[in-house]
Amino acid sequence: MFFVAPAVVLLVAFAAYPLFVLIRMSVSDVGPTNIVGTWHFIGLANYIQVLSAPDLWFSALRTLGVAAMLLASNLVLGFLAGSILSVGGRVTNVVLGIMVFVWALPPIVSGSVWKFLLDDNGAINGLLHVVGLARVSWLSSPNLALWSVAGIIAWAALPFSALIIRGGLLAIPRDVIEAAALDGAGYWRTQFQIALPLLRSTMWILAILTVLYAFKSFDFFYVVTQGGPGTATNTLPVQSYNTAFSGFNMGLGATIAVISMLFVALFAIPYVRSIRSESDE
Amino acid sequence: MKKRYRILQGVAAAAAITVALAGCAISSNATASGSDAKVTLRFWEYYTGTSATWIKSQVKKFEQANPNVTIQLVETVGSQQDQKLLASVATKTTPDLFLNNIVVDYPSLVAGGVAKDLTSYWNGYADKAQFPSSAVWKTNGKVYNVMTYTNLIGLFYNKDILDKVGISTPPTTLDELQADLAKVKADGTYEGIALSGAPTVEGAWLFAPQLLGQGINYCNFSGSKVTAAFTRVAEWSKKGYTPLATATWDQNAAWQQFFSGKYAFGINGNWQLGGVKTASFAYGTGQFPKPTGGTSVVYPGGEGYGIGATSKHPDIAWKFIEQMILSQQGEKSVYATTGSIPVRADVANIAALTNDTFVQPFVKAASNSAKWPNNTNTANMQVALGKAVSGVISGQSTAEQGAQAAISGIQAAEKAGGGTCQ
Repeated sequence: MFFVAPAVVLLVAFAAYPLFVLIRMSVSDVGPTNIVGTWHFIGLANYIQVLSAPDLWFSALRTLGVAAMLLASNLVLGFLAGSILSVGGRVTNVVLGIMVFVWALPPIVSGSVWKFLLDDNGAINGLLHVVGLARVSWLSSPNLALWSVAGIIAWAALPFSALIIRGGLLAIPRDVIEAAALDGAGYWRTQFQIALPLLRSTMWILAILTVLYAFKSFDFFYVVTQGGPGTATNTLPVQSYNTAFSGFNMGLGATIAVISMLFVALFAIPYVRSIRSESDE
Repeated sequence: MKKRYRILQGVAAAAAITVALAGCAISSNATASGSDAKVTLRFWEYYTGTSATWIKSQVKKFEQANPNVTIQLVETVGSQQDQKLLASVATKTTPDLFLNNIVVDYPSLVAGGVAKDLTSYWNGYADKAQFPSSAVWKTNGKVYNVMTYTNLIGLFYNKDILDKVGISTPPTTLDELQADLAKVKADGTYEGIALSGAPTVEGAWLFAPQLLGQGINYCNFSGSKVTAAFTRVAEWSKKGYTPLATATWDQNAAWQQFFSGKYAFGINGNWQLGGVKTASFAYGTGQFPKPTGGTSVVYPGGEGYGIGATSKHPDIAWKFIEQMILSQQGEKSVYATTGSIPVRADVANIAALTNDTFVQPFVKAASNSAKWPNNTNTANMQVALGKAVSGVISGQSTAEQGAQAAISGIQAAEKAGGGTCQ
């Protein structure tokens, strides 16, 4: 019991208490005038206001879109990259080093670089122009901007998923792989038909983490588009931030954050159960 | 005890909603009260470019004249400084000095208890008669912020491009500007106009003058003229007079585009006059083009200076504001370095200012600027307009949809801010 105490204290201080305050704020009328003063309890008024406005549902749809793109990237590309990188060698080591570097880059840095690259007059459009293709409004088209930013997030998240999957692949007993080889299965057939089924629990956990990541992705949107053009990249975290810290309606901002958390909880519960079943195994 | 609990709540709430707002906790280190004690003032600011050069130079001068005083310039992100300042109230660590985008941030900063009451300092200030009332920002009769310069937007043009495409006289009306943009587009060599259409207060600031000159402001924002203004920007975007990227450009990004020499026109502020001198092309300036049947009217902007409510050295902080910001030297130097328009009566007519043909359009604009709405929710009114403008430029919504979204958004924000406006 004594040994768990520090963890419990930290958990209460940095997770449970802020969460309690967030929920308390979501049922209060809180603005700059009373953020340090008395919070007037207004029941579910904030929830009714937020849920009855179409903005929230559009933001939720956009967030789900980002989650779908991240899932495809992290699971499909992550598996391909993890498979390639599970073969040792000097090139693998170099690529792994670069991937860790990419993963560790602060979003404000990588986001700014991507913003420059994807600008209407940026390097990528310059390249397209050189090869005779039309320029693309990556960040300024309302139809493309969300997917462009989602692509940037996927790029930043890919090293993590590739490394996780690579770790899972390396943990598969060698004799299983060798047996498949003796039966005449090629490398990719072995990967898809032998290794992939064995990675099921890893992929499941990675999928849940990916969805959680999508629902808390804010930094790239903030750096690259600030929710624009118009409202095209207004996801739930962006809407929550703008409501609380640009509009200074902290109560409504907290309400959107709580609703986001409820979405996340839908995925967090199976995650916790997966972790438990992993532990039991 | 209850107060402490509330403070804890405030801090925890900030931590719960955002992870990106951890302020730089640099504390003042002066504890001794003797006159020889070293004093460190923390000054939160977000200046960039020539403005940053100016403030650093003023700080240096003050430190040289006051060897016991050190001023730590804490550079913040402009769009996040408001939140940091509000959070600093909860932890009682407001900076000694701060500046803010006064037309957007002032209501929330005063309401949040960030700013110290400067009334006694202001009343005792010998030169206060030199300042117009618009430079002294009051709430309930108390002074909380003072301004030393004003910033306005106007038209910049690339004279080289205009000569090449056959435009002999820069436009003075929006109709003339539109005709000139058509000429630039038809030539095919250059881009039309670089301006901000970001879904923020910046996009709103650039759009509003299309209507201000026709008597439409945030307090009476409705009617066919609003739709017509949105139709105009939609047309500019559709015809390629301004790129789709305008929908995401803030004023800095728009300026970089104009400064690149590819654009015939740019809408930007007089604070760019310092930097534009190094442009690789011949340029000129003019007032914001007049809307059809109207006059050229823009909103005034600029930074307000304040002292943090929990500053331990308000006297020294005021001394800095008085000597380095509000003084003749402060105003002359900010004009010389950045191009910002001084507000002191005894500086407004100096030769350097009256002989500067580039700054004169902005000086004229300052004499006929619009009045900001009297509402604590002004920022949200502007954001509602900015989002609508960005949406229309990008093609996300039609001009009619954009106009309707702006009208309803502004009205909702006004209502949420207590309903006052004029």
